[in-house]
Amino acid sequence: MNVEIKTLVGYSCVTSEDGQRVYNEIYPKLKSGESVCLNFSGVRAFASPFFNFAIGQLLKDLEPEVLNRLLKVEKIKSDGLLVWRRVVKNAKEYYKNPEAKKAIDEILKQQAEDE
Amino acid sequence: MKQQGVRLQIPTINDTPSDFDDLFELWGIVQGCSSNVTFDFSRCEFLRPNAVAFLGGLARLVEHRNRCVEFDWDTANHRILAILRQNGFAGAFGYIRTLGGPGSSIPYREDRTYATGVENDIINYLKFNWLGTGWVRVSSKLRDVIVGRVWEIYDNAFLHSESSIGVFSCGQFFWRMGLLKLAVVDFGIGIPANFRRHLKAHPFVEQLTSAQCLRWAFQQGSTTKPDTTRRGNGLVLLKEFVNVNHGRLEIYSQNGYALIEGGKEKFNNRRKFFQGTLVNITLRCDERCYHLADENLADPLF
Repeated sequence: MNVEIKTLVGYSCVTSEDGQRVYNEIYPKLKSGESVCLNFSGVRAFASPFFNFAIGQLLKDLEPEVLNRLLKVEKIKSDGLLVWRRVVKNAKEYYKNPEAKKAIDEILKQQAEDE
Repeated sequence: MKQQGVRLQIPTINDTPSDFDDLFELWGIVQGCSSNVTFDFSRCEFLRPNAVAFLGGLARLVEHRNRCVEFDWDTANHRILAILRQNGFAGAFGYIRTLGGPGSSIPYREDRTYATGVENDIINYLKFNWLGTGWVRVSSKLRDVIVGRVWEIYDNAFLHSESSIGVFSCGQFFWRMGLLKLAVVDFGIGIPANFRRHLKAHPFVEQLTSAQCLRWAFQQGSTTKPDTTRRGNGLVLLKEFVNVNHGRLEIYSQNGYALIEGGKEKFNNRRKFFQGTLVNITLRCDERCYHLADENLADPLF
C-alpha cells in the first residue's frame, strides 16, 4: 500500500491528530503483514507530535524488525527524518522497558540529591 | 454607576529577567483584586513582544473572571500606541484606528481554544507573519524547520498547560541584528505543577524545586501526558535547534526559569511567581547558523 502523506494530511506533519490519521491508515495493514510505503513528497514542516502518533505508537505491539521489513519511506526531507529518528529512538526505549519510570526515578533521585 | 476598579500601571518592559518580574508583579496585582481593571501606559516608554503577549493574556484573564477590562489609550505615548496598533493588539482590545503595515512587528495573536484547523492558522502565522514577510531573509528550507520547531511550543501550550483562556503570542523582527523574537504565553497550571501532579506518588516529588522540574522537562523522554503516545521530544528538539542556531530560549513557569543559550542550560528558582508558562525564543535568520545533519534513508528506520 502506498500512502501519499500530502493527500492524507496536507503540507505540514505537525499535529498529533494528523499523526493519528496516518496511524489509523497504516496500522491494520502492517499488523496483517502487508507492506506500506509512506511518501512524504511535498510535505514541508515536521514536528514530534505527528510522529509520536503516526510512527511511535506502532512500536507498542510491532517489533522494530517487522517494521523495518514492512514500512518504507520515500521523499522525506532531512529534517523530517531527523524528527522521525528521534521519536523512534525514544519510543523504542520506552516500549522496550515498560517501566520507564525507573529512568525517571533515577533522574528524580539524582536531582533531589543535587541540591 | 461605573464600578471603581484597579488602575494597572504598565512600566517600560524589555525582556531581561527583571522585566519579567515586572510582568509577574502585574499578574499578582490582578490575582489579588476583585474589581475591574484599567491598563494605564503613562509610565511606559517601550514594550517588547513578550510584554504584549503577556498583557493580552492578562486582560483576557480578567475578563474570564467576569470583570471588565479597559485600556486607557490616551495614556500611551505615540511610540507605544504605534507599536500596539501595528501589531494588532490595540485592535484586539477595541482601538478602532489601525495602522496599515505591520512595520517590524509580528502580529499579536490569541488562540482561545485548540479548535480544528488552528494548527494551520498558527503555521501560516509563523510562515507568513513571522518568517514570510519581505524583510526576513530566510530560505524556505530553514523556514520550514523553524516552523516545525516553534510549533512544538504551541503544541505544549495547548496540550499540557490546561489554560482556560488560551494561548497568546507576539513577535518582532530586529532587522539590524537579523534576530527573530517570539513570545508564547499561557496562564495554565505551569510545568512544575504539571510535573508534580503527574508523579505525585513518587517519594521525591515534594522535594523538587520548580527549577528541577524544568530541568526534567528538557530531558529526552519526559512527558506529563498520562497516555504512552506522547514521549516528550518537543522541548529537546527545540533546545537542539536553538543551540545549532546560536539562538536563545527562555522559559518562565511558576517560579522556575530555564535558559538555553550557547550550548549551555541554566535552571533557576526565582523570587517572582506567576501561574502559567511563558516561552521567549530568539532565533537568528542566518543560514550559516544552521547546518542540517544528513539523515540517511538507507539506515534502518526502526
